[in-house]
Amino acid sequence: MIEIFNASVQIENKYLLHNVSLKIQKGEFVYLIGKTGSGKTTLLRLIYMDLFPSKGNIIVQSFSSSNIRRKQIPYLRRKVGVVFQDFKLLFDRNVFENVGFALKVVGANRRQIKSRVLSVLTQVGLHHRRYHMPKNLSGGEKQRVAIARALVNEPFILLADEPTGNLDPHVSLEILDLLEDINRKGTAVLMATHNYSLIKKYPHKTFMLDNGYLNEHKLWT
Amino acid sequence: MKIIFFVKEGILGFKRARIAVTVGILSIALSLSLIGGFGIVAQNLSDLFRQYYKKAVIEIFINPSLKTDQINQLTKNIQKSTAVEHAKFISPEEALKDFEKDFGADLVTVLDENPLPPSIRVTLTAEASDLENTDAIVETIRRMDGVDDVVYQREILKVINEYFLIGIIISLTLGVVIFITATLLIFNTIRLTIYARRTIIEIMKLVGATNYFIKGPFIMEGIIQGMIGGGFACLLMWFFGNLIKSLFAPNLIIPLYFYFSVLGIGTFLGFLGSYFSVNKYLQY
Repeated sequence: MIEIFNASVQIENKYLLHNVSLKIQKGEFVYLIGKTGSGKTTLLRLIYMDLFPSKGNIIVQSFSSSNIRRKQIPYLRRKVGVVFQDFKLLFDRNVFENVGFALKVVGANRRQIKSRVLSVLTQVGLHHRRYHMPKNLSGGEKQRVAIARALVNEPFILLADEPTGNLDPHVSLEILDLLEDINRKGTAVLMATHNYSLIKKYPHKTFMLDNGYLNEHKLWT
Repeated sequence: MKIIFFVKEGILGFKRARIAVTVGILSIALSLSLIGGFGIVAQNLSDLFRQYYKKAVIEIFINPSLKTDQINQLTKNIQKSTAVEHAKFISPEEALKDFEKDFGADLVTVLDENPLPPSIRVTLTAEASDLENTDAIVETIRRMDGVDDVVYQREILKVINEYFLIGIIISLTLGVVIFITATLLIFNTIRLTIYARRTIIEIMKLVGATNYFIKGPFIMEGIIQGMIGGGFACLLMWFFGNLIKSLFAPNLIIPLYFYFSVLGIGTFLGFLGSYFSVNKYLQY
C-alpha cells in the first residue's frame, strides 16, 4: 500500500533522510518516533508527495514518485489524509465549513458535502459544535476538526504529524483514542511524534528516525 | 458548479481579507489613473498639435486668365487627392476682403486696382498632414496646368512637425515607463493579497484540489479586484478631468473609450496578476 525504497533526501549539502525503506500495509497503525529535526516531517512529505526523494522511490497505492505527473498529485492526496500539530484550519470559517471545504474543492455537491461532513463530525465527536468558529474551540477540538477534514475524503491512510504537539497530556490521549478508533474502522494511520510516553498506551509497530536514518524500534513490537 | 464556486469564493475572499483587498483596489485605482491620466494628456496634446497643423493652409495662386469651368476643374482635380480635406476657390474680390479684414488697409484706393490673384485654399486631412506628405502634395499641385505659384508655411509646419515627433518619443517613453510601473504595482498588490491567504492554498493542495480549482477563486478575485480598481480609476479620471476642464482647460476631452480601456486594462491586469501570483504557490 505504501512502500518506500531506499529513499534519500538531500537539500543543498545536507542529508535529511538516508536510504530509508519502509512498508505500511492496509489498515496498519505505525508510529514514527524521533527527536525534532530527525526527519519525521520530511518522511511524511515524501508520502503525500509534497517533496520528492533525491534518490530512491516511493509508491503510494498506484502512484510512484518516479513517474507521477504533477497533475496526478491532487488525486493521490485525496487518498491520503494529513493532520498537523498547528491544525491548519481556516479561522474565518466555522467547523462545518472547514471540513466541507475539503469536499468542496474536489467538486462534491451540496448534498454529498452535508451528509459526509455530518457523518465525519459525529465520528470525531464534534457534531454539536459544527457551527462554532475555530477561535471558540479548545486545542483538542481544533485537532478533531483537522482530523475530520482529513477523513472526509475517505482516505486509506491518515498521516498525523505531531498531532498532539500543541495539546496537554489528557487531551493528547483523547486524540490518540480517536486515531485508534479511526484505525479500527479500517483507515491506516502513520503518526509521527516525539512523545514516547504517549504511544505506550496503544503499542504498534514503531520506527525510529535518528539523524535521517530509519530503524524499526523493538520496544513494543 | 465550478464557476459558481469560483465566483462565490472570489467574493468571499474580499470579505475575508477586507484590508488587503481594499488597499489592493486603491492601489490598482491609482495605478490605472496614472495610465489613464497620461493617456488623456497625450491624446489632448496630440489633438492640439493636429489642430495647429490643420490651420496651416496651402495657398494655390492660379492664372487669372482661367475661365470658371477651368477653375472648377482644377479645384476638382486638387480635391481628388485623399490627403486634401478641403479645397476652396477664392476670387480676387474675396481675397481683397480677407486682406482688408486682416490688415485694415484699403488696397484699391492706394493702387487703383485689386492686385490680388485668384487662388485655391487647401487644407489637408489630419492623417496626411506631415511635412513629407505636404511637400509631395505641393509639388504635384505646382505641376498642374493653370497653377502659377503655391505658397505654404513650410517653416512653421517643420517646427510643429519636429515638436510633434519629440512629443511622440517622450510620450511613448513615458507611457511605457508608467505602464510598466503601474503593472508591477498591480501585480505586487495582488501578490500580497494572495500571500496573505497562502494558508488556504496550502490547505486546498493538502486535501487534493486540482490546480485549476485552486486558481479559479483567486483569478476570479483578481479580475473583480482589477475591475473595481478600474471603476474607481474611471471615477477619478472623470472627477479630475472635469475639475481641470472647469478650472483651466475648457477644451480638454476625455473620450468614452478611455473609460472602457481603463476598465479593460484593470480587468486584464487583475487576471494576469492573480494568475501568475497564485501559480507561484502551486509547485506541487
